[in-house]
Amino acid sequence: MDAIITTHELKKSFRSPRGSVDAVRGVSFDVARGEIFGFLGPNGAGKTTTLRMLTTLLPIDGGTAVVAGCDVAHRPKAVRARIGYVSQLGGADAMATGAENLVLQGRLYGGDLATVKARAEALMEILDLAEFAHRKVKTYSGGQRRRLDVALGIIHEPEVLFLDEPSTGLDPQNRANLWDHVRALRDRGTTIFLTTHYLEEADALCDRLVIMDHGEIVVEGTPRDLKRQVAGESVVLSLRDADGAGERASALLGAQPYVRELSDEGDQVRLYVEDGGEALPQILRLLDAEHIGVRSMHLSEPTLDDVFLRQTGRSLRDAGSGTGDEGRAA
Amino acid sequence: MKTVRDTGLLFHRYIVQMLRNPVWLVVGFSTPILYLVLFTPLLKSLPGVRGFPTGGVLQIFLPGILALLAFASGSSAGFGTIFELQSGLIERLRVTPASRFAILFGPLLSGLVTMTVFDAVVVAVGVGFGFHVHWAGLAVLTVLLWLLATLMGAFSTATALVTKEISAFAAVINGINLPILLLAGVLLPISLGPLWLRVLAHLNPLYYLVVAARSLAVGHIATAVVWQAFAVLVPLCVLVLAWATRVFRRAVA
Repeated sequence: MDAIITTHELKKSFRSPRGSVDAVRGVSFDVARGEIFGFLGPNGAGKTTTLRMLTTLLPIDGGTAVVAGCDVAHRPKAVRARIGYVSQLGGADAMATGAENLVLQGRLYGGDLATVKARAEALMEILDLAEFAHRKVKTYSGGQRRRLDVALGIIHEPEVLFLDEPSTGLDPQNRANLWDHVRALRDRGTTIFLTTHYLEEADALCDRLVIMDHGEIVVEGTPRDLKRQVAGESVVLSLRDADGAGERASALLGAQPYVRELSDEGDQVRLYVEDGGEALPQILRLLDAEHIGVRSMHLSEPTLDDVFLRQTGRSLRDAGSGTGDEGRAA
Repeated sequence: MKTVRDTGLLFHRYIVQMLRNPVWLVVGFSTPILYLVLFTPLLKSLPGVRGFPTGGVLQIFLPGILALLAFASGSSAGFGTIFELQSGLIERLRVTPASRFAILFGPLLSGLVTMTVFDAVVVAVGVGFGFHVHWAGLAVLTVLLWLLATLMGAFSTATALVTKEISAFAAVINGINLPILLLAGVLLPISLGPLWLRVLAHLNPLYYLVVAARSLAVGHIATAVVWQAFAVLVPLCVLVLAWATRVFRRAVA
């Protein structure tokens, strides 16, 4: 593999009033040139911290990282010249126009005015921003602003573009539109490194990804291979509130030969079966015989959430909510 | 060379932004003018009081206002930094290869330009009230005011980067501002006060500038107080600029 990012045992801890918190605990991975590589995990998993180390924004506590041929710790300036970075906040100047933002950014990367202007114009065309080029950024919609943020990240034609939670706050339509633009960028040769806590985003967009939890890489692979590891299909049963219905159903179904794995999630029971079509009628008959009421039944292909669940014992949808970073790392 | 170029680029961004926000400019202009119009009349009876320096009231008071202006324009720089930190702009700049000194100094430079324009207006209004202009003295004073504003601006920006949020930043800056201003004799000369106050004032860098400013306003340039002001402000300015650049270079969350 022609790796454009290589990390080895990357570590970062933060001091807090209650002692040291290990945000990233020895992370090693490679990103191939020209791919969209994703970091998927709940909030507080250490995704953003890793990304901030790779982009020279945070000092590295331990391990090494090489980005675009340059060691991040020893040659941060060289790394900065070769990468683009779009933070969660974006950072565009709201009081300036989109074009002004792009021209300043391009010039800070060392470009001369004429080249930068031409490049800004071309980028705004590509990212469907041409008609807003000379309007102030504060008048932009969320989707337009996000596309401008991406343009700011690629004005200097970097080898790698880092996107931190790129679609946070976007509606589904704008999200899909952003994905198209990101894919188009990859097709033109830019390597993309992104973090996300959206399963759908990781699944739809990434060529390869790692799943991160508690500062460690849990699993790595293509979305397809990862999902294939979770054999078969998943059936989610939603049960009527009768005493111990979930437990009784779990005990009953867990004993069936066609059920590979099972998890009891309170009023829901999730099973993994070899062949959903065959299993469904059997499951229904069985529950009916035991007078366990079924509210709904849902058959699905495995998702990355199933992968996460299998690796960590928690659902990614639950893992991210509620507690802050420190709570997660504890 | 790269530092100069990057500073120029960022200076341009900030000055354009400032001109697009005229409300801010009006507020900035009105403060010193209000001092001149509403405070000067109170000082009419002061000449002749023991400890009051010789010379017209405005020759004493107007340099104090200029010092106050430089101090305030510098120390308020961090409020913008806090806003830029929260909008992601600082991070966006830090990830580019732009010089760290330029990221700090670009906005400070635009502050110096606006301050100099304010100063000119204050002096012009002062002349209307009877202030007598000594050009050479005023030129040297302008350099001292730039030093002070840069020193305070760098300090304020770095404090903003360290505190990261508005309430902690405002607490630090306001907590420091009041004692420094009172102990510098900005509005009334410290020479009016008792010995302990006069001794304490010598620990305050702003005091040296205010004393030098009053000397320069009456055209006394080659005096000990002027040299002392440079001797205090130049090293302090270099030190704080170096510290603030280091803060930019290090991690800022």
